[in-house]
Formats: sequence, structure tokens, C-alpha cells
Amino acid sequence: MTDVLWGVFVGPFKDMAGSPTFLAEVLIGGVAAGLMYSLVALGFVLIFKASGVFNFAQGVMVLFAALTLVGLLERGVPVPVALVLTTVVMIGLAFGIERMVLRPLVNQPAIILFMATIGLNFFLEGFGETLWGSNVKRLDIGIPDESFMVAGILVNKLELTAALTAGVLVAILAVFFQRTRIGRALRAVADDHEAALSIGIPLKTIWVVVWSVAGIVAIVAGVMWGAKSGVQFSLSLVALKALPVLILGGFESVPGAIVGGLIIGVGEKVGEVYWGPLVGGAIENWFAYVLALAFLLVRPQGLFGEKIIERV
Amino acid sequence: MTTDSTPLLEVEDISVRFGALLALNRVSLTIPRGEIAAIIGPNGAGKTTLLNCVSGFYHPYEGAIRFAGRDRTRLRPPEVAALGIARTFQNVALFRGMSVLDNIMTGRILRMRGSFLLDALWWGPARRQELEHRAFVERIIDFLEIQAIRKTSAGRLPYGLQKRVELARALAAEPQLLLLDEPMAGMNVEEKEDMCRFILDVNGEFGTTIALIEHDMGVVMDISDHVVVLDYGRKIADGPPEQVRKDEAVLDAYLGVAHD
Repeated sequence: MTDVLWGVFVGPFKDMAGSPTFLAEVLIGGVAAGLMYSLVALGFVLIFKASGVFNFAQGVMVLFAALTLVGLLERGVPVPVALVLTTVVMIGLAFGIERMVLRPLVNQPAIILFMATIGLNFFLEGFGETLWGSNVKRLDIGIPDESFMVAGILVNKLELTAALTAGVLVAILAVFFQRTRIGRALRAVADDHEAALSIGIPLKTIWVVVWSVAGIVAIVAGVMWGAKSGVQFSLSLVALKALPVLILGGFESVPGAIVGGLIIGVGEKVGEVYWGPLVGGAIENWFAYVLALAFLLVRPQGLFGEKIIERV
Repeated sequence: MTTDSTPLLEVEDISVRFGALLALNRVSLTIPRGEIAAIIGPNGAGKTTLLNCVSGFYHPYEGAIRFAGRDRTRLRPPEVAALGIARTFQNVALFRGMSVLDNIMTGRILRMRGSFLLDALWWGPARRQELEHRAFVERIIDFLEIQAIRKTSAGRLPYGLQKRVELARALAAEPQLLLLDEPMAGMNVEEKEDMCRFILDVNGEFGTTIALIEHDMGVVMDISDHVVVLDYGRKIADGPPEQVRKDEAVLDAYLGVAHD
């Protein structure tokens, strides 16, 4: 009994204090992973804010973006050109979705739009694989997957680049949507289509902008995750890790997506390393979901979400 | 071209069809500047359809709508809003998750200018602009006596207050023409009196032309300069309230005389 208590409450902290550089490495790894989760979660938040729709296809958008990029690279297109072309494709996709999915469904309940994104999910998956093939591909964007030492701490170059990119992108988007009047317009559109139209918010434009931005976020997420673990179908499953992030942060909060991602990233790394041996490891696989479950019980609106009040 | 004698809104022979149902059948009406016009009629008479045509949500398959003398038949809702037509909805369409203040601020969206970059930096002109709009919105809040609920989220308000906030949002756009779809539905006598006073004040102080749909005959007769009566998609009467009140066709429609 005392062994267990020692293992839970004392041992791990003793280890942390014993080797601060190792703790720093674990924390950096956690922050890096967390920002990557934030990046995927951000795609969901943007679309949820602007249309009140949970976009089931976000994970597949990440896959589709990565597939397109790899496909272009394989055909000998230089990296910068391929990135621009992929961006063009994702913006084109946003126009297509607005025209063929969203516009015919204006003023429909959110569940109908959600079903439409499930359809979109299957379409994009099939279309992407038809176009670019379904075998696992390596994505090489010229950043080596190797480590270097800073002040005695081992840092992975690829992870660092990914974390910095994610951090910058998240910061830009946060400012853009919190500070500009577009932010207010977005929330208005999410709340009530008709009313938004009547005060002069052009729904079409807002939707195209938001889906384009979500598409660009998907490219960045696709590149970062793809470079790490290869481009294949399982890439679309990173969306699953974004769900607990959303539950923690709140579905409509950009800062929430960031903080939620960091908590989960750091939490699961630290949990795995220090408490893992106690339960035989694999904490990393379930930590996020257990945390999300706890949040659903205690604070279902998330850390930054709007309080859910139902008038009866 | 546009003089003060040009009526603000001219609707000419518009028809709207939903499948087999002729919701509006060659309806015409004219609303001069500065007037309060009421559109009345039994349920299903086509009143809201008419309002939806003016605000661009529906487009008539024949006929024309002119605003300030120019043809506006086929505009979409955001374009209509940009012309200076604001509206409220029969079933209150507020942004329920947002505070009352933010709801009313959205009404200023078309009047905001400038770059998103400056907005983002919250610097110089962008900041000044936000503050100016905020000041205007505060005036409307004072005017409609909703200071106390400024920070409350709109979805939590009682129905009567939601209607008032919706009016505030429409006013924030400084419209030339204000369309009100049953502004007093579901209100108690006191709330109705308040709403009547606000409508008259808006018309008196800002010179806003108002078209409203209302079922309460007492209210309609009291506040409107001009009453249009619809029944089964047709216009059956049009004139000053005292004249419409005595109109044979109107009495028939309301008292349920059989239509042959």
C-alpha cells in the first residue's frame, strides 16, 4: 500500500526534482505535441464559430491537404510552389463546399449540416485516394528529424519547427478572430443565419473565408504530422485527439483550443514518463480521453466555452 | 432624381408563389418618407411574405420593388441592409449566445470601415472607430431603456425584452426604413405600451419610416398613418386607419364572412 502511495504522490516528483533537464525535455516534448493538437482543434473551432457546425471532415481535410502536397512533390514540383498550389486547392475546396453543401442548407438545423460534413468526409477520403493513391507516403519538407543540444537539453528539430509554426499560426488566428470585427460577425453567423443576413453580413463570404482558413490550418497540420509519421489514412485520425482538446477548451474558443492542446500535450507526456511505469505504460493513449470525460462531468462547456443555460 | 416627394418604398404588383399556393397576388403599396404604415390581415394572408420580399429573403416572380425611386426587386438580404433597410423578425432572431451590447453592436457592422490589420492591432483609427460606434450604441441603449441588461446574454432575457433588443439592433444600423414583424406579439399590456411609445419616438426623433405587421387592432389604429389590409395574398384595403376600420371587405375578412 505504501509503495503505491509512494509511487503516486512522492516518487515521480522526486524524479522530476532529481533531473531537471530531463523534466525540461519532457515538458518541451509535451508543449510541442500540444501545439500540434491545438492546430488540428483550431480547424474545428473556426468552423464551429462561423456556422455552428461540428465539421466531421476536419481530420480528412488534414489528410487531403497532406496527400495533395505529397502528390505534387512526388511529381517533382518544388516545395514552395507545391505549398502555394496546395493552398489554392484548399481555397478552391472552400468555394466548392460553400456552393454545393452550405448554400443549399442555409437555415437548416445544425444536425443536418453535421450530417453533410459526414458525407463530405467520405467524399474527400475517396477523392483524395483516387487522385493520389492510398499507399503510405513519406513527406520530406527538408527539415531533418534529428536532435540537437541546448543548455544540456535535447531538442528535436522537426518538433521545434512544428511547434514554432503552430504557435505563430495560432497566435495570428487568435488575434484575427478575437480583435477584429470579423470575430463578432462570425459569432453572429453561427448564432442565426437569417438575422446575420438581415443586418448585412454576407454569409457566403464569411463561409468561404472560414473554410479557406480551416483548409490552410489543415495544410499546416498535415505537413507537420505528415513529416512526423508519414502521409496515410491514419493521418485523418489526428482529429480524434482534437476532440478532447475541444472538450477541454470549449468548442468556440480560440484561446481554449490552445490551452486545451497544451494541457493535453504536456499532461500525457508527463503522465507517461513519470506515472506510466506504475500502470504498465500507455497513459499517453488514454489520458486525453479520461480528462475529457472528467470535464464533461464537471464543466461541460469547457474552460473557455459559454455557459450552457437552457430556459424552460 | 430622388426628391423628398418620391415615396421611400414602392411595391408594384408583386406576386409570390410557394408551389401551388399563391402567397402574394399582385400586391401593390406605397410608403412615403416619414410615415408609419401598418400591414394587417388574418393569419396566412401574406404579410410576412411581403416583408420578406422587401428585405430580399424572397424574390417575387413578377412585379417590382423600388426603394427611394430605384428598382430593388432582386437584391439579396445583405445588399438590402446596405441600402438602409433594417428589420426585426416574427420569432425574434437575436444572437442568443452574445451579450445584449454585442448584439446591438452587430447592427453597426455595415457602418464600420478600415483594415482588419488595424483592427487586429487595436490601434489608432480602428480603436477610435470602435469607441465611436460604442458611443452610438450606448445612445440607443439609453433610448430604449435597456441599460440594466447590457451585459446579459440575449438568450436569457424574457421575450418582451428580446423584442426590444432586436429593435435596438435594427436601429443601430440607422436605417431609413424599418420593417417590424409583429413587434408586440406575446407582450402584456404594459410592454405593448412601451413598444408603441418607442416606435412613435423612433419615427418622431429620427424620422425613420416604419412598416409594421401587427395583429392588435387597437395598436394599429393608434400609431399608424396608413393601413394596408391583406387577405389570401390580395390587398383588400389601403388607406388611413379610420377609413380602413369601416371598410366592408375588411370587416368581412375579419369577421369571417364566407368567400365565394
